[in-house]
Amino acid sequence: MTPESRKRSIFELIREYMRAIEEEIEERVREFFEERPSWNPRTCTLEPLCNVFVTPNEVIITADLPYAEENDIEVKPLNENLVEIKAKLKRKICFRDLGITHHKGEFSMFYCQVHIPVAVESNRRKVSFRNGILEVRLPRKRGYKIKIE
Amino acid sequence: MVTVRNLSSTNYVRIVERTLIPSEAVMLFGLPDVGLVGVIAASHIISELELEEVAYMDTDLLPPMIVLHKGTPHMPLRIFGNEKILLAVSEVALPADAIHRIMRFLVEWGKQKNVKIMIPMGGIPTPNRQELVEPKVFAVASTPQLVGWLEGKNEWQGRKLDKPFEILREGYMVGPYALVLQYCMQQNIPAVSLLAQAFYNYPDPQAAAMVLKELSRVIEIGIDISQLLEKGEEIRLKARDIMKRTERELTKMRKAQEYDIPLYV
Repeated sequence: MTPESRKRSIFELIREYMRAIEEEIEERVREFFEERPSWNPRTCTLEPLCNVFVTPNEVIITADLPYAEENDIEVKPLNENLVEIKAKLKRKICFRDLGITHHKGEFSMFYCQVHIPVAVESNRRKVSFRNGILEVRLPRKRGYKIKIE
Repeated sequence: MVTVRNLSSTNYVRIVERTLIPSEAVMLFGLPDVGLVGVIAASHIISELELEEVAYMDTDLLPPMIVLHKGTPHMPLRIFGNEKILLAVSEVALPADAIHRIMRFLVEWGKQKNVKIMIPMGGIPTPNRQELVEPKVFAVASTPQLVGWLEGKNEWQGRKLDKPFEILREGYMVGPYALVLQYCMQQNIPAVSLLAQAFYNYPDPQAAAMVLKELSRVIEIGIDISQLLEKGEEIRLKARDIMKRTERELTKMRKAQEYDIPLYV
């Protein structure tokens, strides 16, 4: 084996090792966060589909809330990085309405907690609800300017 | 009648035909993608036209699962149809690493059945979707002649369109429909993809309705979309889980590249 080929194979091994680690982490994250039901009959809640977009000036959270009433939506910052969304449904939805007969329970609310990845001014939030989509706009906290010499 | 075909020695893929498949049908695709537009549109076509299951894909490329309907098991990727239409629809998010083999197999099967045209129905991710009152539908075609037909410039199979379609001229397409167009272009099968502006990862019944409205101009079938629009909230509620799983696969396919601006100098 030439020194060059030995070097290449070591890089290849490292790459493979890194790929395996990445896949493992991805799998664990998925198991922890995603491989669970999107409903909870104990709390009578459904988990909505959500998005978080970070722009240079603000963080925009959106959530798809079918059957939600505009006046019964609550958006509450829990701490600096977490926002709670509660939205009461127009009517109670039971498993049978979703075509499922082997589970029991009914749901009256959408509920989720959304993680915000950057610092925001949550008291200056703007909330709107249009065509069943909730939009929360949170201005980002301004830091200091770096002086260019 | 059963057709068994193996595409490769490593993966098991076959399409099992339950009835005689018509020749020269139109083949539609309603596969999980942006806003589940295709799946929602396909489900509505199946119920409106009372299409029957005519075939299904049996493969180890899909997750080990069955779908239960009225107490009996069904394969998640099925083909519905009548004497004029074949419609491939999946009730499971297509795994990103199997997408090439699945799509190549479906297109080859359609070619074997001598379909007249393939029409993938889907969405274009649109960042400001919630601000749109009515999403627009764009068309993509597999040949310059079909593009001309969609623009109302020339005839295709003895027909000329009165009102032109808006063509998706430049950009990237990623996912199952990109492959349908690619394989159709390579094999000289006419294909027109109808893509509505849609939410990236929220089920979008309104976008599906707009696609169906435009579909009726391509293949001259009448589909009432009023029921689909009425059931919008119910669909959005029921489709949350498949949307979540589809989004995960779209991320693996690098679907966000569709936002990219192409470099043409």
